[in-house]
Amino acid sequence: MQTKSLQVLVNRIEDETTNVKSFTLKSLKGERLPGFSPGSHITTNIHYKGEKLERHYSIACDPSVSNQYVLGIRKSETSRGGSEGWHQMIKEGDLLEISYPKNHFPLSFRARKHLFFAAGIGITPFIEMMFYLKKKGIDFDLHYAAKSKELCPFYQLITENFPDQSHFYFSSSNRKMFPQLMKDQPIGTHVYFCGPESMVKQFAAYAQSAGYPQGNIHFELFSPPDMGPASPFNVKLLKSKKEIHVCEKDTLLDVLLREGIDAPYSCKVGGCGSCLLEVADGIVDHRDQFLTEKEKENLQVILPCVSRAKSANLMLDL
Amino acid sequence: MSALNEDTTHSSVSLITPEPLIKRFPFPFHEDSYRYSNNSRQLESGLCLEVTPEYEEEVEEKRALLKENHMKCYQSFSHTIEAQWEVLDMIIHELAEVYPDYFSIEKQGDQWTFSNHLLKEQYSFTFGAENTLPAEPLDFIGRHVQEDLVIVSQRDQDLYMDAGQVCFPANWSLVFDVGMTFTEWHSPVPVFSDKLAAKVRDFLMRMEAGKPWTRYNWTLTVEHVLPTFAEDFDLWAPKKDKVTKENIGELVHLRVEDQRLFRLPKSNSILFSIHSHLISLKELAENQVWLEHFRNIIDDLPEYIAEYKGFSEYKPLLSEWLTDTLQKQVEQGGNV
Repeated sequence: MQTKSLQVLVNRIEDETTNVKSFTLKSLKGERLPGFSPGSHITTNIHYKGEKLERHYSIACDPSVSNQYVLGIRKSETSRGGSEGWHQMIKEGDLLEISYPKNHFPLSFRARKHLFFAAGIGITPFIEMMFYLKKKGIDFDLHYAAKSKELCPFYQLITENFPDQSHFYFSSSNRKMFPQLMKDQPIGTHVYFCGPESMVKQFAAYAQSAGYPQGNIHFELFSPPDMGPASPFNVKLLKSKKEIHVCEKDTLLDVLLREGIDAPYSCKVGGCGSCLLEVADGIVDHRDQFLTEKEKENLQVILPCVSRAKSANLMLDL
Repeated sequence: MSALNEDTTHSSVSLITPEPLIKRFPFPFHEDSYRYSNNSRQLESGLCLEVTPEYEEEVEEKRALLKENHMKCYQSFSHTIEAQWEVLDMIIHELAEVYPDYFSIEKQGDQWTFSNHLLKEQYSFTFGAENTLPAEPLDFIGRHVQEDLVIVSQRDQDLYMDAGQVCFPANWSLVFDVGMTFTEWHSPVPVFSDKLAAKVRDFLMRMEAGKPWTRYNWTLTVEHVLPTFAEDFDLWAPKKDKVTKENIGELVHLRVEDQRLFRLPKSNSILFSIHSHLISLKELAENQVWLEHFRNIIDDLPEYIAEYKGFSEYKPLLSEWLTDTLQKQVEQGGNV
């Protein structure tokens, strides 16, 4: 039996660094929490300063330990409220409603070796992955860049559990993490990147040029990539017989949900494909990471959480 | 598989209140036309299983089939063991929670004792330790439910049929399909395979835990036969030749698969549960609304679907019988 959402207790809050806190979420007394696969995240909803804020956080702990999820949350300087709310408002003993664990960043099954590249708080999904792989005896290495040892989230946990596989690059000591680390790896190596968009782009481009097949390159973004200025457009909804306007500041998904359309969605950064819709007419300005270049060319579909219209009008079968 | 510590002296299932089949049959049609589509709906109940009055006879039949030809009904890859434990965990807790009079579970850490009160059986085992169960976890728990169970793994951007306990297949073969990708095992389905299969696969790959889905599939089966394995085509298919205008109401059964799909969060696999229901046309006709829907469906059905579902030979006879029976009911002043 599966219920729609999960109830958890904020069991412990710890300072990992000056701007990263870890939150240990546990099951309520007598209840159980579902397990999670390596690479999973949960969706959280908190109410902060009068707004309902939906955020996704990777689970940064050992998947073989039952009934707990650890989240590592960095207080973002450009916080739109989510991380600030978590840091300011959430206290030990609070009850929260969260989603089931979801996995949009799974480990490859066929990989012979897993090579992880993390920058800053991008480390979180790799923690669950490394615990899993170590237990299974599968080969992996972690390359992890941070400002300094003091500003490196989960430094102690990583050095304690994965001393042989972890490599640190602290800008305070002028050590830089280069994509060239992907060179000279055994056949069957899969590479994974998690960090700011610029880092992910640089590493993914290098991996491709170094000859890694597309299916061996994996990455997760925190926020939708910057695809340049957004123009307004109009959308005709055939089934609901509505015409809607999407202004520069809104996404198509925002407007659909506001109009009460039952549109599916999940990650809201163009990464998971959950919100995919068929396009009856119009030219799509694809801004997602989910569809392949070929699919973007050949399929008449749109991911409304990030993608927009190139033509002034779109027609959707909704 | 002789190690199952079954108590063979169990009494009949008296706990389940028998309700006539016509009152509880999952009739799959709400429109007058049927084509292949992604007809999945959200499963509001969140439940994977259903215990019906046929519980004892169907579980007994499953176990007999597993005993007679184990590999025909059970296949698994070793990498599915964790997902199998996850399925066992989910099913045992659902059974005990939804049917506390029929099933119970007691846990002391990893020491679990599972009781099936309907069959008067009790099993103690260590959760996660395969050698403490009489069979693999999926094979074990499948012997306590009426559903067929299939584990579909998601790996490297595709879906694979990686384990299954299937005793009541509707003309397909687990042995043949195991290890195939979603589009491979659907390749025989006309139109669906080239127009829809990849889309449905992508939909399934985006399925999330906590948001299960359900769909009905259907076909027709001659006589009340649940195990219609592709391997046994020679045993059940020739029965079609016996169908006449006189006996079609008793012989031909509408077969409905109540399929439910769950994302398993720990293994990131998908569990398919399939509960197969059979009702004779004669009994189905007791519900005039259903009869009329079904008549319209059959009359509108393209030949390629009738052909694939295996009843094109007697489709004219079927259509005639449905129309005649409906007309008789209307003349008699309705039977709704």
